[in-house]
Amino acid sequence: MNVNAEANLIEEIVEATVKYDDKRCVDLARQAMDQGMDPVKVIQDGYSRGMQIVGDKFATLEYCLPEVMLAADAMDAATEVLKPHLMKSHDHDSQGIIVLGVIQGDIHDLGKNIVKIMLRAAGFTVHDLGNDTPVRQFIEKAEAVGADIIAASAILTTTMSYMPDISTILNELGLRDKYMIMLGGAPVIADWAIEVGADGYGEDAVEAVEVAKNLMRKKRGG
Amino acid sequence: MISFWDVIGRSESGPLVKEKEFDLRVGQTARRMIEKYGIKYDPEHVIPADDDLADRVYQAGLDLFLELGIYCRDTGRLMKFTQDEVNWALKHAPTTVTYGQGRDMATMTYRAVEDPKPPFCIMTPVGAPVAEERFVAMVQSYVQEPLAQTFSSAFSQTVHGRPIKSGTPQEVEAAIWNVIKLREAARAAGRPQIGIHNLVSNAERTDAILAAVQADFGVQPNDGICIAATAEVKIDYERVKKAAFLRQSGHNKYGLYGPLMGGYSGGPEATALVHVAHHFLGLLAFEAQWHCGFPLHIHHGCNTTRELLWLISITAQALSRNTHLLITANTFAAAGPCTEMVAYEIVANAIAATVAGADLDLAAVARNRHPERATGMEARIGAEAGHLTARQGVTREQANEIVKQILAQYEDRMADAPIGKRLDECYDLEALEPTREYIELYERVKEKLSGFGLDYSLL
Repeated sequence: MNVNAEANLIEEIVEATVKYDDKRCVDLARQAMDQGMDPVKVIQDGYSRGMQIVGDKFATLEYCLPEVMLAADAMDAATEVLKPHLMKSHDHDSQGIIVLGVIQGDIHDLGKNIVKIMLRAAGFTVHDLGNDTPVRQFIEKAEAVGADIIAASAILTTTMSYMPDISTILNELGLRDKYMIMLGGAPVIADWAIEVGADGYGEDAVEAVEVAKNLMRKKRGG
Repeated sequence: MISFWDVIGRSESGPLVKEKEFDLRVGQTARRMIEKYGIKYDPEHVIPADDDLADRVYQAGLDLFLELGIYCRDTGRLMKFTQDEVNWALKHAPTTVTYGQGRDMATMTYRAVEDPKPPFCIMTPVGAPVAEERFVAMVQSYVQEPLAQTFSSAFSQTVHGRPIKSGTPQEVEAAIWNVIKLREAARAAGRPQIGIHNLVSNAERTDAILAAVQADFGVQPNDGICIAATAEVKIDYERVKKAAFLRQSGHNKYGLYGPLMGGYSGGPEATALVHVAHHFLGLLAFEAQWHCGFPLHIHHGCNTTRELLWLISITAQALSRNTHLLITANTFAAAGPCTEMVAYEIVANAIAATVAGADLDLAAVARNRHPERATGMEARIGAEAGHLTARQGVTREQANEIVKQILAQYEDRMADAPIGKRLDECYDLEALEPTREYIELYERVKEKLSGFGLDYSLL
């Protein structure tokens, strides 16, 4: 496949993602694999870039949450097509592995869901623990999947009090150095997050992605 | 007729739907209704004066509610209702609700669009975080305001020096402490029997909240509790349990709804319809006596942007013109205490709500999350603006012109609004009065607002 044809296909993928056209996203993924394109490049330059544009549109509210969810679903459907090829290529490297959840006692998961979408779009592998997640469960999952970052959100002042336990329990278990901790959510502010042992704080989903990237650089010694 | 238990029964028998599918259905249905009823946000008409638009927003919100139903998160089922059932509930909705006892008694009643009757003024730091030792002072700064008719709580970061964790024994202790301290603040303000509209702000679990509802802790028979929709047109049993208790205990109860503009619903028009629908949800699933709305901007975490002011005004007009529901607008400002921006935000919000027929819940500031940043002064600023709007007989057209001039003072700073000063920086805590700096700031703002058309000499 020549360079121009590849570039055109990538642009079509970006456009289909931005238009949250799931059928087109899947068709284009198949087409790209049939033509021998690198699946990592297809994801990074195509679907992820499309999701970045979706994220930008969400930031200005040109898009609202349903459009973001549909675009993420379209990307997921295409990624399913690419998965077998990714395994063959052996060089697909995640930006990092994140265990994400809403802290114990809290059922408000909208913010966490947006963060999940944006992190995945940015190339992170995200294990979503859902809402009302005890701190021990964050840690057990992080250990099980070899996570780099433990990320927790809270929307209530009555539940954010569990957040300091992440650092405390990791310390008690001698695991603190293995993980970066990232906190966020409506009542959480940066100073408090750092005070209770977090390595990073995300004001919103866009910032969360940047913070996660910075934490990964730090963790990898960059 | 439809009873509370008929409604709850539907959470166990309605059609099963996946939650994500329901979330997407909210936005899709709202978009369809917007088109069907030709509803359009107009940034030049922040306070619309179009009765037909208000009525279309009402009808579209009702249609949306009838089509969507309420989603019960515990069972994954839809609770659907007929138009007759909603009409019956509306017809039998309370026309008044009374808080407090003796000379501190206050009654909330229906307000019409452009009603010359001043709005009912609820004053509260809306659960703003505060150090335990300053909790009573912060709350007292609201209760002592002459225009306060009920009050509620800040969020003490600790109780007896221990942090509060939801679901623990400490949460029960904290809830009881919260109620005792609220009544202490009322007594300190010389208003011992003023009503508390929401008794507990530092507990999430229903068992902890209900443990605190005891006369021995200072709770009066008509104090109350809020019951919140968990997200767009959704409920869960943990919160509905409160309704089951309150309908037997006789305490007051109200519905709390905070749809996110930019969230599942969509833009301002769609969120307006969903917000209207929440009032039917509260009436049916909570038997709410009155309704408190705090629609928020998904990124800014406040409701003083141009779109949100439109949303607040048009939904209040829609409900006020078509029902006798008791509706309240809860201000969420981006800026914090002792800033000109917070004063302008709160006044804009108060005018938008008051002229549209709503009462006032004043006020969450500094995006409701910065410790120590909430004072009774912000509530005073909002209540005075609301009273003037009503007593001056401000029309929607006039309100629109005033609010647009106010918006010009702050709307370019929404993203980086100043968090303002702490309570101990802008109040003399000995006298519990605003500092000279804060008083002078308000005087400057009032002078400017007078130029825009608010007549402060009427106060």
